[in-house]
Amino acid sequence: MDEAVGDLKQALPCVLESPVINVEVHLRCNSTAKKEEIKLSVVKLLNRHNIVFGDYTWTEFDDAFLSRNVQSVSIVDTELKVKERQPIDLSKCTLALHVFQLNEEGPSSENLEEESENIIAANHWVLPAVEFHGLWESLVYDVEVKSHLLDYVTTTLLFSDKNVDSNLIAWNRVVLLHGPPGTGKTSLCKALAQKLTIRLSCRYQYGQLIEINSHSLFSKWFSESGKLVTKMFQKIQELIDDKEALVFVLIDEVESLTAARNACRAGTEPSDAIRVVNAVLTQIDQIKRHSNVVILTTSNITEKIDMAFVDRADIKQYIGPPSTAAIFKIYLSCVEELMKCQIIYPRQQLLTLRELEMIGYVENNVSRLSLLLSEISRKSEGLSGRVLRKLPFLAHALYIQTPTISVEGFLQALSLVVDKQFEERKKLSACTG
Amino acid sequence: MVPREEGFIQTGQRREEVVMAEPRPEVAAVDAQLSDLERIEDSEGSCASQTELLELASAHGPSRNPEHLCPGDSMVPVVFPGPVSSEGCCRFACELLKHIMYQRQQLPLPYDQLTVFYAKPSPQAEDMVRKKAERSYKKFQQALVELEGILSHLESLFARTRVPRVLILLGGNALCPKEFYELDLARLTLGRVGQSLSTSACLRRLFRALFMADAFSELKAAPAMGTIVMAQGHRECGEDWFRPKLNYQVPKRGHRLTVTLSCGGPPIPDSTWDDYIWFQAPVTLKGFRE
Repeated sequence: MDEAVGDLKQALPCVLESPVINVEVHLRCNSTAKKEEIKLSVVKLLNRHNIVFGDYTWTEFDDAFLSRNVQSVSIVDTELKVKERQPIDLSKCTLALHVFQLNEEGPSSENLEEESENIIAANHWVLPAVEFHGLWESLVYDVEVKSHLLDYVTTTLLFSDKNVDSNLIAWNRVVLLHGPPGTGKTSLCKALAQKLTIRLSCRYQYGQLIEINSHSLFSKWFSESGKLVTKMFQKIQELIDDKEALVFVLIDEVESLTAARNACRAGTEPSDAIRVVNAVLTQIDQIKRHSNVVILTTSNITEKIDMAFVDRADIKQYIGPPSTAAIFKIYLSCVEELMKCQIIYPRQQLLTLRELEMIGYVENNVSRLSLLLSEISRKSEGLSGRVLRKLPFLAHALYIQTPTISVEGFLQALSLVVDKQFEERKKLSACTG
Repeated sequence: MVPREEGFIQTGQRREEVVMAEPRPEVAAVDAQLSDLERIEDSEGSCASQTELLELASAHGPSRNPEHLCPGDSMVPVVFPGPVSSEGCCRFACELLKHIMYQRQQLPLPYDQLTVFYAKPSPQAEDMVRKKAERSYKKFQQALVELEGILSHLESLFARTRVPRVLILLGGNALCPKEFYELDLARLTLGRVGQSLSTSACLRRLFRALFMADAFSELKAAPAMGTIVMAQGHRECGEDWFRPKLNYQVPKRGHRLTVTLSCGGPPIPDSTWDDYIWFQAPVTLKGFRE
């Protein structure tokens, strides 16, 4: 009897016990192979590697079929939940394979025809797009922002699937990311859209990302702006009607469309702006009924946003400037990239922050450069992600200027450029202050 | 051989005039046909063989089917009385592409006139005028090179594989175009070169059916937009210029016109096309105006 129960346990997939590992299979752009065949070959590949440590990417394959058709196979996002890198036994995990091919064409523009003029009201991408490839990985946050957002959408879909009565339990499909400029809010929205399209490729054939140009929705005619907003959302509605598509609507700098209406009472804001806010709010209420849409919004100045809109956002995530640990990670990825392109040469392996921690920050030959980098990271605290990503470029432009450089030389230049950055800032604030 | 669709375009327009003046469609059709014959004789003299013309005269019966045409979705069936060659299929697709681009105002002149009449600006012209003309000439050349590229790659695709369907998508992106044109070649029987119908006769029949259906007159003037060309081909055909789109599905939205070609033979089962996938041309043709 006991034996029979044991057998039964083995036969039934037990969701709770085995964690799901997501594997992204990036097909070559000229691959024409069937998805089922690709999946079979990838499973075979993964069976040969039973234990992996954290995220891992294969780009070279022994199998001729795989090397002909597949660009890369990556185990992804295992580090989002579990901070520590730990061995993962693939045979004990449920593998979720996501096979995708990138779309190479750039954005197309969505036009609103007004008499005599043509307004480009939105940019429109078919996902997964080449432009956003690798964006998700390049964004580094301390708190679990990324997993948080992924889980949010997963729950949204679950609730829609189970037909939860939206009158009893309401959710609006609106995400608001706010925080200082340059922290990657817009990039995160785009990366999230790309990620979800890949993750949900078994449910939706493709994703669409519509980035609304908020400023273009204001008409030069008084009282027409509200109508433009409605027109814009009508176009979006058409896209949503295609149930094969997962639609992401990105409203960047949302405060321009949803400026607080109470400010209007002071008489400083024309009443046309009120109509825009009203139109946006009612349109959001309209499209939230559909299960295949997510509205992503970003803002720098949250206090300017209308309360009714803030209320509608299910997730109001603050995205702050990166911490020292995140800065270290960002720098490390920059150095890695420059080594890949052989601008930093010869290649020297740097330790991660965790590895430094394990050796107790003891200085020796192996850790010297990594310690220097962590010192620079500490110094860089307060700089935004956007600034950090351009510092390696500035370091090269201002202090190096040779085709190749050693890691040490590069780090020294980086240190100098960080100092310069703070100096410039001080001067700028002195001028304005 | 000189492509002759300009002749068709003109007859098409002439037919419209005739219809306006003459309410009975049968008479109008015969008139149009006559004028068409004249035109062919005018433009080609003895080139068009008598048999082709006879065949043409007897052909238009099954191709006329205006009843089910609605402004949103239209269908133009064309039946050929025998097998066609695969080169012929390629010509159908290419000529349709050129024709649509002109009819939908993405080219200022019909393709074949474009190459002749769009001359380089003369160096004597006034500075401002010349600069403007040069800029537009550059744009024109770019557009022409891209279009020619697609045409020649279509040719090599048709040589590689059977192509059951071709899509010409205007505006927006491949998944939600503003309007799109579908050429259904799946029901054609392919014959060897000696045994298939003359391609020019088939082309004429195809374009006659298009004008009879009056597919373009109801559409609003189009702004300059992008044109995407897609074609179905066999999975293993080894095509390397067109990009495979494994997930692609024919859009459900947007103005649609389907041209169905068939040879009147027994229907080909759908399962024949199971291993055929969509390929997309890696360039988007940009609409070009003067």
